[in-house]
Amino acid sequence: MQDYNFDERFEHYPIAMAYVPWQHLSQIYENLEEAFEIGTIFPELDKPFTGRRVIS
Amino acid sequence: MNNSSSEQSRMLKDISIIDFTLVELNEYLDTHPHDRQAMEYFNHYARIKNQMARDFSARYFPLTADMSTDTREWNWVLSPMPWESSFGEGGCK
Amino acid sequence: MWNYEKRLQFPVNIKEPNAKLAQVIMSQYGGPDGEMGASMRYLSQRYATPYREVSGLLTDIGTEELAHLEMVAAIVHQLTRNLSMEEIEKCGFAPYYTDHTIGIWPQAAGGVPFNACEFQSKGDVITDLFEDMAADGTPL
Repeated sequence: MQDYNFDERFEHYPIAMAYVPWQHLSQIYENLEEAFEIGTIFPELDKPFTGRRVIS
Repeated sequence: MNNSSSEQSRMLKDISIIDFTLVELNEYLDTHPHDRQAMEYFNHYARIKNQMARDFSARYFPLTADMSTDTREWNWVLSPMPWESSFGEGGCK
Repeated sequence: MWNYEKRLQFPVNIKEPNAKLAQVIMSQYGGPDGEMGASMRYLSQRYATPYREVSGLLTDIGTEELAHLEMVAAIVHQLTRNLSMEEIEKCGFAPYYTDHTIGIWPQAAGGVPFNACEFQSKGDVITDLFEDMAADGTPL
């Protein structure tokens, strides 16, 4: 678990496997109350559900 | 709703906002245990939340049983349960 | 071990009782993608992981899901207060009401009682994490 490989060059990854990209802390919402209403303090995780797809 | 109960709701909401931030940072730190900036944020908000929770418990009712300072009435059990509606009658009384 | 904080993670204040909605929301309590399944899933899977980052995360998320479970129950409780028999029958809430009245009892929307088939814990960390994503992941 110590290998924090931030160098994500996906073309080098073996095929036929599933991967989950690593989250890096860039920033958190300054307005905590707004973050509370949104449901996350991380702007990169703010992905509203629109019924069928997710806005990313 | 009278003034003091809306003050109470506001204070509880503020605690929830800070605690939510703590939960998010906590879970982030679980997979990023060497992120110093995240730890600084966490420690900062944890201090604030602890103080707010203690203030709330002294003024209204204990938020956790160990925050009770009661000597006459055990408000941990007598205070409203979190699911009781502010719009009147609930199941428990 | 667990402590309890006497507040909901997010406030719940339902203005209008609504038996039909209660029926649907009950699934978020005890159904296959509900919070009871989520908390039991994470809290069960955490023992078999070889990494503390993962067992710690599963513990913390599982604990948070218990708080979500509480909010869903609060919503159902507030939606079902003061219902007339007419309202209960009209909304299709009578089957649940017959067995539980305004009690909270975990079941899926179709009536299947909550059970361990709603989640999996295979003892392999990669398998378990994929099960978590399948159950909890955002639809793509």
